[in-house]
Amino acid sequence: MTWTAVARKDFEDAIRSRWVAGLSILFVLLVSAAAYLVRPAPGQTISSNQVLNSLFVRDALVTTLVPLIALIVAYNAVVGERESGSLKLLLSLPHSRADVVFGKVAGRAGAIAAPIGVGFLLPALILLLVPAVNFDAGSYLGYTLLTAILGVVFVSIAVGFSTAASSSRRAVAGAVGIYFLFVPLWGAVRFPLQLYLSGGGPSWLPLTGQQVLRMLRLINPTGSFKIVSNAFLQGALFTQGDVNMQVSASLMLLVWILVPPLLGLLWFQEADL
Amino acid sequence: MAAIELDGVTKRFGDVTAVTDLDLTVPEGEVFGFLGPNGAGKSTTINMLLDFVRPTAGEVRVLGLDAGRESVAVRRRTGVLPEGYDVYHRLTGRKHVEFAMRSKEVDGDPDAVLERVGIADAADRKAGGYSKGMRQRLVLGMALVGEPDLLILDEPSSGLDPGGAREMREIVREEADRGTTVFFSSHVLGQVEAVCDRVGIMREGELVAEDSIEGLRDAVEGGETLVVTVDAASEDDLGAVRALDGVTNAATDGGTVTITCDPDAKTAVIGALEEAGVTVKDFQTEETSLEDLFLAYTEGQEVSV
Repeated sequence: MTWTAVARKDFEDAIRSRWVAGLSILFVLLVSAAAYLVRPAPGQTISSNQVLNSLFVRDALVTTLVPLIALIVAYNAVVGERESGSLKLLLSLPHSRADVVFGKVAGRAGAIAAPIGVGFLLPALILLLVPAVNFDAGSYLGYTLLTAILGVVFVSIAVGFSTAASSSRRAVAGAVGIYFLFVPLWGAVRFPLQLYLSGGGPSWLPLTGQQVLRMLRLINPTGSFKIVSNAFLQGALFTQGDVNMQVSASLMLLVWILVPPLLGLLWFQEADL
Repeated sequence: MAAIELDGVTKRFGDVTAVTDLDLTVPEGEVFGFLGPNGAGKSTTINMLLDFVRPTAGEVRVLGLDAGRESVAVRRRTGVLPEGYDVYHRLTGRKHVEFAMRSKEVDGDPDAVLERVGIADAADRKAGGYSKGMRQRLVLGMALVGEPDLLILDEPSSGLDPGGAREMREIVREEADRGTTVFFSSHVLGQVEAVCDRVGIMREGELVAEDSIEGLRDAVEGGETLVVTVDAASEDDLGAVRALDGVTNAATDGGTVTITCDPDAKTAVIGALEEAGVTVKDFQTEETSLEDLFLAYTEGQEVSV
């Protein structure tokens, strides 16, 4: 089990990429801008949770931009090393191929968590200083962590593709495809479907329309993320509201972290370098 | 126990057969030179030792372990300088050696390793800025981490200047003196001659010769190369020459004919050429070198040594 050595090497390598520094700056700017846009009207106070759960942070920044950035950070993780030849150096050392794949997931997870952490925590200083904002430190840190987990989900998907892809062009195609499927397309399909299914859905389906919609929300990792993060910011996670749905969504995120790298590994185990 | 054991190993990539029915045994403690021109199947063979590629047929055992199923255990005890690798451009030389140490789960001083391979002064520079020769030294250093029982070096001298190649040979010698088995490939005989106990020569996926350097020397001893200047000669004219006793090899570029043969056969060779209608203008003899023999093996002429 030497995946920790792979993870550490990969993190040290990825963190030195210009991408990661650039993304950290981008996140700082965007979260700061969001904090400014959601600022309280004169004479009113708001909670920092309202800033986080605003459309601007939750929908525009976190569930739209974080998946894209995670895919960019990770799509080349394995296939890039395969194409350059450094994979031969890596596998000359006593790592199993599973060590390589899960070490890569962990290393790139660190590389996406770092800019997310910096991006949220620096603007937190601004929120702390504004008297009209009640800064809820626990929620803020928790939300940052949840955002990082969403990043890790997409890192896992990208590493899975990167492990199975025969060229980085294919890995890019896979990553772009996944992004369009889960981010713009899913929402576009869900809305008309919702109208259609709210009437009860087709009779041949063994599920009710509501059940289909719930499944659709869960399958998409950004949907699962919204279920978990909304409940968390309301202080209701696993205690109030639709607890079943919250548990399912949390498990779904875990499945997305584990399954794509495992599928990639299945293929990678058999591959000639 | 054998350090390396290949038994009936074949590797096909689609329609291309890279290695055909290869049997090869390298005993522990031996320095084995794996020779052959580029594309002969040397790297494919090495890649099978490391489980980078899987054999289509046959069995590969390294350090007594199955090279496929027990590959991690094999690589734990093996230092590797692979072919066609790349370094991590954003990481320094020292980080590379530290990574090798963590991967092999050994402690040590990265700077001492870099010192040994002669790039200690570049320890803090990013490896992306290293020359080819420095990268070779760095990866050799990573291979030496953890005192391996087996060193597998694929074309270790490529990218090195003559001084660097000599240092590489010295390190191979030191490791061999420690008892390490060394298996290294080269397409240049001169690099292995000085350090190898034994060599194997690959051509078109097959092992065409396997012998000690002394054995190869004995095989060419007393042999001569006859260089004949002629008006014009073709492959057809050489048939009669090749059929002669004592002739091991004959080749022509049209204006000259080069024959490897016993000294006694010279007169018969000239006679056979003239009989074939070739006008002999001049001839001279040279002693056959090991290099000639190697070229004969690898350039596709049939030889019978």
